[in-house]
Amino acid sequence: MNESIIRMENVKKSFGELEVLKGITLELGRGEVVAIIGPSGSGKSTLLRCLNRLEVVNGGSIAIEEEYLVKDGEYADALKSRKICGKMGMVFQQFNLFPHMTVLENLLEAPLIVKKQSREEVMPVALELLSKVGLGDKADVYPNQLSGGQQQRVAIARALAMNPDIMLFDEPTSSLDPELTGEVLKTMRNLADGNMTMVVVTHEMGFAREVAQKVIFMADGIVQEQGTPDAIFDNPKNERLQVFLQSILR
Amino acid sequence: MDEILRMMVPLLEGCRVTVAIFAVTLCLSIPLGLLLALARLSDIKPLNRAVEFYNWIMRGTPLMLQLLFVYFALPTFGIRLPDVTSALLAFVLNYAAYFAEIFRAGIQSIPKGQYEAAKTLGFTYVQTMRRIIVPQMIKRVLPPIGNETITLVKDTSLVYVLAMNDLLRAARTIVQREFDMTPFFIAGCFYLVMTFVVTRVFNWLEKHYARYEE
Repeated sequence: MNESIIRMENVKKSFGELEVLKGITLELGRGEVVAIIGPSGSGKSTLLRCLNRLEVVNGGSIAIEEEYLVKDGEYADALKSRKICGKMGMVFQQFNLFPHMTVLENLLEAPLIVKKQSREEVMPVALELLSKVGLGDKADVYPNQLSGGQQQRVAIARALAMNPDIMLFDEPTSSLDPELTGEVLKTMRNLADGNMTMVVVTHEMGFAREVAQKVIFMADGIVQEQGTPDAIFDNPKNERLQVFLQSILR
Repeated sequence: MDEILRMMVPLLEGCRVTVAIFAVTLCLSIPLGLLLALARLSDIKPLNRAVEFYNWIMRGTPLMLQLLFVYFALPTFGIRLPDVTSALLAFVLNYAAYFAEIFRAGIQSIPKGQYEAAKTLGFTYVQTMRRIIVPQMIKRVLPPIGNETITLVKDTSLVYVLAMNDLLRAARTIVQREFDMTPFFIAGCFYLVMTFVVTRVFNWLEKHYARYEE
């Protein structure tokens, strides 16, 4: 592992009385693909959402590329926080494409509006990304004319159009029909092969095993065990992990 | 026939007044309604309480009363406005409250995921509203906005209490002078034409927004 790109120290998050993250400490290197697995309600999505401030933490520190988004519970100012979060792209379980825009417009929107890039500048990038995710012929259709798998690939391309250093995936295949998960996983695999730093919350054990360099197992708001896929899947030490693996691999 | 043509002049003049009140009210109350809706949904507690109170007053008292208040009561507080301005003020303030509640409901119906997607792409609040939320909201609120707009066509006739020569007052003046009911029928036809046009415009808008599904 080279330079640290994401560092979390003792991150805590509660929703009211419910403590969802009970002090998470993690470090990820550039170019690493990390899979976060665990039973539902274990806090894995919340962990991911804390990274780009979709959730506000109650304590601890998060640093992205050595810059503190939050330090000991104190957030950086709005400008800096926006800059830090801009380094991360996110893909959601429910795609969250903009339904009133065509596929191409979905990709162009943020670079044009947020980065104020020119259309001439963004257009070739957007078209290339679309063909990269295998949807070069769908530029002018609206998202709802696409299958779930195609929509999710558009969502990946949309996030990539902002040229992020890190991609966050929040159960990207969980709302897809089984026969459509393959095409999305393949797109993610290509991204990993291109050395993108990726944090993937997933139930796809095959993907975690084959693509991730590191697997993190969470339960009850803490990281129970982390390690290489081989160590996690073939030689689990944590009892919760053993039970979890038995229940899903049966 | 000559008789009818002779009536047409004041009736058309009345139509002009009616259409003017309608158009100005619509053009001002829709943007004001949107601002009120955003204020109502803002995190600033006193602001959304204030808008809630405003909407309660405006929707809770008759428009007629509001017209009379602006026209007769404001001058006693030293605020003197020209007739037309008084009428427009009352209409805009009243309709903005109705539009505000429609827009608020529309904005609240947009899924949270749209805000989250915009946020992760770096959109500011204003950019999110302008580019993502409001355009989608418009599609959803077109039917109730169409309803309100048709009601507004007919509500303009309330200005007759302020002695403004709108279509209805023009018709009534002729009826009272000549004991001939024809002007009422003609006025009715004019209102129908106006609401027909409004209906068509909204049909077209709904068709335009049907290009995408949600």
